[in-house]
Amino acid sequence: MSALMDFLTVFTQPQLLLLVGLGTFAGVYVGAIPGLSVTMAVSILISFTFAWDVYPAISLMIGIYMGGVYGGSRTAILLNIPGAPSAIATALDGYPMAQKGEAGTAIGVTTVMSFFGGFIGILVLAAAAPAVSGFALRFQPRDYMLLAVLGILLVGSLSSGSLLKGIFAGAFGIAIGSVGMDPLTFTPRFTFDQPMLRGGINFIAVMIGMFGVSEVLLQLHHVNTPAVRQKISRIVPSFGTIKRYLPLSLQTSFIGVIIGALPGTGGDIAALMSYDHAKRITKNPETPFGEGAMEGLVAPESANNAAVGGAFIPMMTLGIPGDAVTAIMIGALFIHGLNPGPMLMIDHPDMFWFIVGALVTANFFMLIFGLTGIRLFVKIVEIPRAVLIPLIMLLSIVGAYAVNNSITDVYWMLGFGVFGYFMRLYGYPLGPVILGVILSRLLDDNWRRAIISEREDLGRFFSGIFHSPLSTVLLLAVVLIFVSQTPLWRLIRRRKA
Amino acid sequence: MSVQPDPESDRAREGSSDATPGGLPEFRRPGELAFAVFLALASAGLLFSAHDIAGFRALSSPGAIPMATTAAMLVTALLVLWKTARQPKTGDETLRIAVFPASVIAMAVLLIGYALLLKPLGFLPTSALFLFIAIKLLSGRSIVFTGVVTLASVIGIWLIFRIVFTVLMPAGIVPEAEIIQIFRDLFNGGA
Repeated sequence: MSALMDFLTVFTQPQLLLLVGLGTFAGVYVGAIPGLSVTMAVSILISFTFAWDVYPAISLMIGIYMGGVYGGSRTAILLNIPGAPSAIATALDGYPMAQKGEAGTAIGVTTVMSFFGGFIGILVLAAAAPAVSGFALRFQPRDYMLLAVLGILLVGSLSSGSLLKGIFAGAFGIAIGSVGMDPLTFTPRFTFDQPMLRGGINFIAVMIGMFGVSEVLLQLHHVNTPAVRQKISRIVPSFGTIKRYLPLSLQTSFIGVIIGALPGTGGDIAALMSYDHAKRITKNPETPFGEGAMEGLVAPESANNAAVGGAFIPMMTLGIPGDAVTAIMIGALFIHGLNPGPMLMIDHPDMFWFIVGALVTANFFMLIFGLTGIRLFVKIVEIPRAVLIPLIMLLSIVGAYAVNNSITDVYWMLGFGVFGYFMRLYGYPLGPVILGVILSRLLDDNWRRAIISEREDLGRFFSGIFHSPLSTVLLLAVVLIFVSQTPLWRLIRRRKA
Repeated sequence: MSVQPDPESDRAREGSSDATPGGLPEFRRPGELAFAVFLALASAGLLFSAHDIAGFRALSSPGAIPMATTAAMLVTALLVLWKTARQPKTGDETLRIAVFPASVIAMAVLLIGYALLLKPLGFLPTSALFLFIAIKLLSGRSIVFTGVVTLASVIGIWLIFRIVFTVLMPAGIVPEAEIIQIFRDLFNGGA
């Protein structure tokens, strides 16, 4: 009964309800505006909500988080610039749909499926938090390392281009993520005696450059092409459409919530894995993947919003952040005198149920704000390119600067933008670069933990993998994904056909 | 003699999204070989630098993952270079049209100018100047149209970042703090 009362706190207090609504509304637009990230917004929020009571502060942050994860899809669909890493997979089919003038349909389906995904994530958080966190506890460092490799290979496999270029891009991303002082031994890596490289390269600057600036430079080739008129006559998808894609949405929501619950892996990997899952199980899509397949929107959008609920599981039960935003939220809870971890569930169960209630509320607000105001929003793509291109460039510059108030980040962003431009011209995928940067730390730390625990013996490391069913499954998945991209595999399949 | 590429095929060459990253699998685009050489050389340089971190001291050394990744970069870059060098050139593209069209060069010059002027001039005048020149150059619309769009955009972006997100952009020659204070005093009734 007490849990129910705590769950209903948000619904019974108008001020909290308003803050969740305001946060979700802001989150949708923060996630959608290139250069503004949810992580940045939530971290800035901490600076002026730390004097507030804990409930209003958390209400606002949860709203921004839920809205932002969804909002990232808007620019992914309309401009091919994922507002957040979790929307990288959404751009694969969303942008081709917008290019065909179907942005309204794409946004409508994305919103409803994000709502379903978000709801499943919250349901699992509420029902199975202890069980899922218990499962995550069994993960060894080598499993995390294999998971990181799997994530990067998966994003490489999503590309229809060359496998070699995909691997190059992933490895390049990991190398960028390694720049700076090694956090374990404080040894400089790729710093070339330059003080500005010691702190590493900000991944947000890399992301804005690679996706924002490179896209702007390519758009300049077609500056005089008139913008595609978007068909936005129907935004709310039909019942038939929802019914048709619901099974896929449910499947990928569960993938999302499990991936989201694994510490360090958030909506980005969840979305990419779900996209890959959809690609494998959909035999005859109406439109091919990469050219505007509806399945390519349903899968990542259900998964990344489901991952939000999942990300709270290790945060609330173990004190380990599920992703960057929950890491900041742990900081916010600390500021408010709470200690996230196993004791939080025992000492402050009210906080757990309050967060679940706030997430449910934010999910409903996301549905409302997602299905309204789209007509105004899609007008963005109807603005002449000659006006839109300089504006996006300016937003990208300001966004890169805003992360650390640093002009150096702007230079990095421009540099990576130009590099991304050449990569795209010559068929190198950009997704693996970004995922490599994000997962670099996870991969590096866990490889070193794993190999130290095996006394620096590679033989023992591999034998350890085969003695653990979980590690064996992950290794097999890595090998399978790799082999399935090789020309040899394609040859075997062609012969079989 | 070069042929102007067909806009539709040119669009496909640039890729519609990350799932179709562009390029031409069977042909070599202008500048592609030079880019492949650059990547191979850069990968070799990075591998050398990764070796300098800790050499082959231990599998758990801080240089282990950097060495493995840069080695993977070098191997794949060399294989791509070998493949690219053997491919025939595209017959319908030139470096100036496919890679460096005038609009891209103009934007690059504007961006360099922006980066150089941002600190001394400040965010507001530099952004206004950048937007005005870029929109005028790209759209060819009237000075009034360009001026109105520039002004509205700069004020909108400034309000979002400076007021809502309290991001401090370089003030430069504009006395931003004083202006904000005047408005604060105005709303506080001069108190």
